[in-house]
Amino acid sequence: MPQTERSRDQKTREDPAPLIVVTETGGRSLVTALDREAELTGLTMGMTLPDARAVFPAVVVVPADPAADAALLDRLVAWCGRYTPWAAAEGRDGIFLDVTGCAHLFGGEAAMCADLTVRLESFGFTARAALADTPGAAWAISHFGESGTVVPSDETRETLARLPLAALRLDPATVSGLVQVGVRTVEALRNMPRAPLAARFGDVVGQRLDQVSGDIREPISPHMPVVPFRARLAFAEPIALMADIERGMRHLLDDLCQQLAQAGQGGRRLVLTLYRVDGDVFDITVGAARPARDPDRLARLFGGRLSGFEPAFGVEVMTLTASVTEPMAPAAPALSVAMRHVTAPDAAFCGDRLAPLIDCLGNRLGFDQVVRLAAIESHLPERMARARPALANAVTFAWPSLPPRPLRLLRRPERIEASVPEQALQESPERFRWRRTDYEIRLAEGPERIAPEWWTDDGAAKTRDYWRVEDMAGRRFWICRHGLLRPGESAEWFLHGLFA
Amino acid sequence: MTGYIELQVTTNFSFLRGASHPAELVLQAAALGHPAIAVTDHNSLAGVVRAHVAAKEAGIGLVVGARLDLADGASLLAYPIDRAAYGRLSRLITVGRRRAPKGECILYREDVLAYGDGLIFVVLPSEPADKMLDAQVDDLRVTFPGAVYMAAQNLCRGDDRRRLALRADLAARLDVPLVATNDVLMHGRARRPLLDVVTCIREKCVIDEAGWRLEANAERHLKSAGDMASLFQGHESALDRTVEIAERCTFSLDELRYEYPDEIAPDGEAPQRQLERLTWQGAKWRYPGGPAAEVKKTLEHELALIAELNYAPYFLTVHDLVQFARDKGILCQGRGSAANSAVCYCLGITAVNPSRLDLLFERFVSAERDEPPDIDVDFEHERREEVIQYIYEKYGRDRAGLAATVISYRSRSAVREVGKVLGLSADTIAALTSQLHGRSSDPVTDEQIREVGLDPTDRRIRMALDLTAELCGFPRHLSQHVGGFVMTRGRLDELTPIENAAMEDRTVIEWNKDDLDALHILKVDVLGLGMLTCIRKGLDLIKSHYGVSYDLATVPQDDAQVYDMLCQGDSIGVFQVESRAQMAFLPRMKPRNFYDLVIEVAIVRPGPIQGDMVHPYLRRRNGEERVEYPSEALKGVLQKTLGVPLFQEQAMKVAIVGAGFTPSEADRLRRAMATFRHTGTIHTFRDKMIDGMIARGYDADFAERCFRQIEGFGDYGFPESHAASFALLVYISAWMKHHYPAVFACALLNSQPMGFYAPAQIVRDAREHGVPTRSPDVNFSKWDCTLELDEAGKGAYALRLGLRQIKGFKAEDGEWVEAARNNGYADPAAIWRRAGLNGAALEKLARADAFASMGLSRREALWAARRFIAANALGNAKPLPLFEAAGDDGWGLDTPVTLPDMTLGEAVMADYSSTRMSLRAHPMALLRERFNDATPAEALVETDNDAWVTVVGLVLARQRPGTAKGVIFATLEDETGVANVIVWPKTFEKFRRVVLTSRLLKATGQLQREGIVTHLIAERLEDCSPSLDSLAFPPADDAQAPRPAPPPKSGFRHPRNQNTVLFPSRDFH
Repeated sequence: MPQTERSRDQKTREDPAPLIVVTETGGRSLVTALDREAELTGLTMGMTLPDARAVFPAVVVVPADPAADAALLDRLVAWCGRYTPWAAAEGRDGIFLDVTGCAHLFGGEAAMCADLTVRLESFGFTARAALADTPGAAWAISHFGESGTVVPSDETRETLARLPLAALRLDPATVSGLVQVGVRTVEALRNMPRAPLAARFGDVVGQRLDQVSGDIREPISPHMPVVPFRARLAFAEPIALMADIERGMRHLLDDLCQQLAQAGQGGRRLVLTLYRVDGDVFDITVGAARPARDPDRLARLFGGRLSGFEPAFGVEVMTLTASVTEPMAPAAPALSVAMRHVTAPDAAFCGDRLAPLIDCLGNRLGFDQVVRLAAIESHLPERMARARPALANAVTFAWPSLPPRPLRLLRRPERIEASVPEQALQESPERFRWRRTDYEIRLAEGPERIAPEWWTDDGAAKTRDYWRVEDMAGRRFWICRHGLLRPGESAEWFLHGLFA
Repeated sequence: MTGYIELQVTTNFSFLRGASHPAELVLQAAALGHPAIAVTDHNSLAGVVRAHVAAKEAGIGLVVGARLDLADGASLLAYPIDRAAYGRLSRLITVGRRRAPKGECILYREDVLAYGDGLIFVVLPSEPADKMLDAQVDDLRVTFPGAVYMAAQNLCRGDDRRRLALRADLAARLDVPLVATNDVLMHGRARRPLLDVVTCIREKCVIDEAGWRLEANAERHLKSAGDMASLFQGHESALDRTVEIAERCTFSLDELRYEYPDEIAPDGEAPQRQLERLTWQGAKWRYPGGPAAEVKKTLEHELALIAELNYAPYFLTVHDLVQFARDKGILCQGRGSAANSAVCYCLGITAVNPSRLDLLFERFVSAERDEPPDIDVDFEHERREEVIQYIYEKYGRDRAGLAATVISYRSRSAVREVGKVLGLSADTIAALTSQLHGRSSDPVTDEQIREVGLDPTDRRIRMALDLTAELCGFPRHLSQHVGGFVMTRGRLDELTPIENAAMEDRTVIEWNKDDLDALHILKVDVLGLGMLTCIRKGLDLIKSHYGVSYDLATVPQDDAQVYDMLCQGDSIGVFQVESRAQMAFLPRMKPRNFYDLVIEVAIVRPGPIQGDMVHPYLRRRNGEERVEYPSEALKGVLQKTLGVPLFQEQAMKVAIVGAGFTPSEADRLRRAMATFRHTGTIHTFRDKMIDGMIARGYDADFAERCFRQIEGFGDYGFPESHAASFALLVYISAWMKHHYPAVFACALLNSQPMGFYAPAQIVRDAREHGVPTRSPDVNFSKWDCTLELDEAGKGAYALRLGLRQIKGFKAEDGEWVEAARNNGYADPAAIWRRAGLNGAALEKLARADAFASMGLSRREALWAARRFIAANALGNAKPLPLFEAAGDDGWGLDTPVTLPDMTLGEAVMADYSSTRMSLRAHPMALLRERFNDATPAEALVETDNDAWVTVVGLVLARQRPGTAKGVIFATLEDETGVANVIVWPKTFEKFRRVVLTSRLLKATGQLQREGIVTHLIAERLEDCSPSLDSLAFPPADDAQAPRPAPPPKSGFRHPRNQNTVLFPSRDFH
């Protein structure tokens, strides 16, 4: 049950609360995996979530994530490479291993089986393993027999005889069809005449029986790792001149960019590895703000970084790997600049022009040092902008049209003393005192009323009334009053920002 | 200070836009001292009636209006100045709604020009103003001179002075006067959180990400004239114009006089004359010897009253429907306040002979209360659609429409939406909903929150619950009423807008039954009732098999045997009294006559239960308590029910006689309870009633109970007249059950789904009443269940189950099997060939063991059917003609195979899996020897009270009624009968899983008996379901010790788990 185990990691391991994994299908939430505690409380597979809750209200529910499960299973398959190169994932939660000729390395078949389950269990998985002559038989016994069984060649048939039909990897409809006519075990099925069986349930029934007994071969297609984008250059003689190294790098970039273009990808992170004759290996990593596969541009990114490299006695091998890539549309021939002004005045255009700057700054200062202000949807001025990594391309940096806001917002509104004429309480003050200086207000516009975000603020936050005011000297301020005005109450005034 | 009237008000009937109920807005306006208020919902008049009612109560004016959102121009506020203009506005909205999908409205500028006569328009320019605005305003101004204004708001956005000045300039340039509004979305600023939540629900976003979609502040609430004046300094004339507009709009919803359709009196005969003619004709038919003098007097009296109130057309309308149904052979029965009158009896609207009751006509149709009569007509549920289509055909779609039902947020739906908006995880929301059972609007306690593993002090969770409580009762969308029809003489769409319903061929008006009620607009309820279908089928069977013909009115009355049966609580399948509570109640109530049945139907209801009236009544009836009356005045009211108010009418009468309410006040009280719950007037009524009764010398406790009872009626009002109509069906179904048990079971099965019991219990009950039953068979069964002559018993009939009992088998296939049968089918291939059934259908028949008459066992039949499925999959859907002639199926030779025989247990379980019942044996009969310690259910009757016993049975139902907090009632069935198990909350917590998931349950505890009702108070519970599995899958003879259960393999269901679906029970969760 990889799903459960993965989720268990998110909780503390000591947490004894039962956990179930739930998949939404056709508007219903069904339990598709559960841990041992959940099983003990009486929850079962295929239960609906409301039923499960009724049985155990405090059950921990985790939504299913089939993609993550599959990824985890893939990693396990790769890990199984330690036993045999012939490993393949089976279904959602199984792995086939062809251990022909490998078992003696682990002290025999039984020992290998035990080693495998012990290791998997130490990872936190519940593992069931069986070893038999055919994949079908091994599957049957691992699912419906005793875990750890090693079936001797001549006992396959006997061992399988009593297992239920589901052990043959038949689909549920076929199994229930056969069970209904009274055929319940593998042996009973084997004793049926094949022809009428095939006329009713198709050839697959016979096929499965033959696969189990080995009369039909069932090959295992092994897991193959994905090859990354990579280019390599080896020199007959070590090269030590910087110009040669740069030329070599240029060669590698051309090669790699071509690979990327064919795959419709662009590089976000590239690693240049230099193998020196003396055995030292150097990695130079560069990042790009947006996926790139333009050799010139990438060469510029490497340019500055390469200068710090000391070739010593020379470099004999260079490799270039694109370790992070993203899909990138095929490059269209650029339109004339004039056209682009008309058609793309938006963020995309800015992005195009900003990207080289961000690359440049980022590769020098580190990408975590380069930020941009992004708009956050909030009416509260202090929450409206947030610095985001400039590389974060999922963020839109577009800004909406809003009432005028000061260029400089104080980090924290500063209290001011303001006087409001008694007869015009709803109006802005006539003068105020800020940082020990008095300002007399000549012009004012407002109020702009902004209510607190009740869902985040505590109850104490108050509605604010903002005024844009200009003093006699033409200085413009953004001042606000906290709280709605009530007669007889003195208002609190703050200065929150400065216009030009 | 200038006067001010708010003209732009969006209520929560602009779904997910407004954040206040119409009544809240009206009351707030009244509190602020506004002389009137307008209601302008988006393309809708759905909320105006509620506002109208509230405005009348609050004593302020209401400007009816709507906001028209146009597809090609600026939005407009529109207010009709008179009735004719209102009709045009209503038609305009109808036009927009009929051309759009359900719930939407598409309107264009030209529509407004076409229907805008007599409307006052306020233009709402967009910002910045649209290019089209000039043309639009010009068109309006020229077409409707003097009727066009432009709105301006000051919503504290910072630059409002500038905005106002610009808007004033625009208005001046376009030559229309400026009018101030506040674009109100809520009645007070405290509603802002809810407004934000509602916005998020509409925008389908989380509150933390809603950002600028929310309002920046809480200014869009109703403001006082003073506040508005300070906001509109320099634009005072814009404020004055609000009053000016309101004064021009003199239209009131009270002017919507209902007019009856003409069709009912086709020959120009006056409706009253026609009604009288039909009534006296009917009297001759009902009373073959001529009506008795007393009846004659009653009829004359009622007719006079009808004439006085001019209700003849209404009675004729209902009569017309009933006549249509009778011509088509559709059984129907009227109920409702006016239905149980002598006139209705003569017209055939009801079959309850009014002389058997003592109901005063005036009580329901009263001149002084000016309340319209109320007649609902129940039709057979399978044939109601015919009646509906008849109405549409007769009156046309522009004159007949279904009333709406306002679907409101209930706690479950509300918490789900609010939770989503507040960003609670799906899991947390599910946990919260699990605590909110059904429709209750009780607040969720900290205890309950902790129980599901959440933290009640968590701010978001608290917030979610508070907002949920506020959102509850908000309308969410309009749906169609189950059958309330409004028919008019003129165009219906000039009364209220009509829109498309979700169902094809249906149109719905915008008002629900309370709205119609409030405006005294009559509607006829055309409802479907399953029991009528059943009775009609039963009466048909009696006629065809026994040669006796009955109808609702001629079934022999006062049959003591029938009452004897009911007194025993033997009422499975009987209308209304078959529920567990009723079955327990019957033996205590011991009904002996028709009126007892009327009480029986009315008493087990929320009203009397909440009012704690049930036990006092029973005690008095059984002579355990002296019958006494709270006062001489109330004796007249309560005499029939031994001094205990049971019916809705009595509770109202108590308010009138006992607490000094006027009849119309009492009626308002009932309405306040039932419908407009948010007017906040309930408390004044409560004080008035209780104080009034105490002042008149009644017991405070009695007064409190009477009020609680009225509260209980709020949800399910159950008047005596309804009870009387139902009681007749109770009697007839009981009569049929007693005298023709086979017919009754057959008719019940053929009317499924209906009622309380599954077919298995109905069949079992029939067998217990001596009806031989036979399983479905392709050579004998029809689609429906039928009666077959039983060779053993002389002239008795056996029940042959129909093919409809087979799970998943289609009616069409069933009819083909029936039609192509001729002299019978010799083998499965014959059905395949002649009836054209495919392999899958044959397999379903085989699974039900329906080939037994061919000498095929279930497994042999399945084996044969399988071949046709495989053939289908290969595309050989039909046999080759040549082979067919040769009697060969054309697929070559089939090697015969020997299949293992089924054990009895396997057969029983297979029966259950295909037909949800078995005629062979009850699973418990086969398992009995394993449970030596268990007492059979039938033996419980003779077991001592307080004895310690164990019962084992299939779980038929698990219930957790809202009235019994946390107590679980489980019904267990074994081969001898049914046992009722009660699980107290403490025990439940201990055996939670067992109680909730067992299919076969073993319960041990103490026996408790009250009258003849026996309960087992469970102390220990055990899940015995594995025993069922061993029946279905018996271990082979040479079986070794069972292996440890394999881990469940995801994705498919192990056959051993299949049984979980075999015994579905009715569960509360």
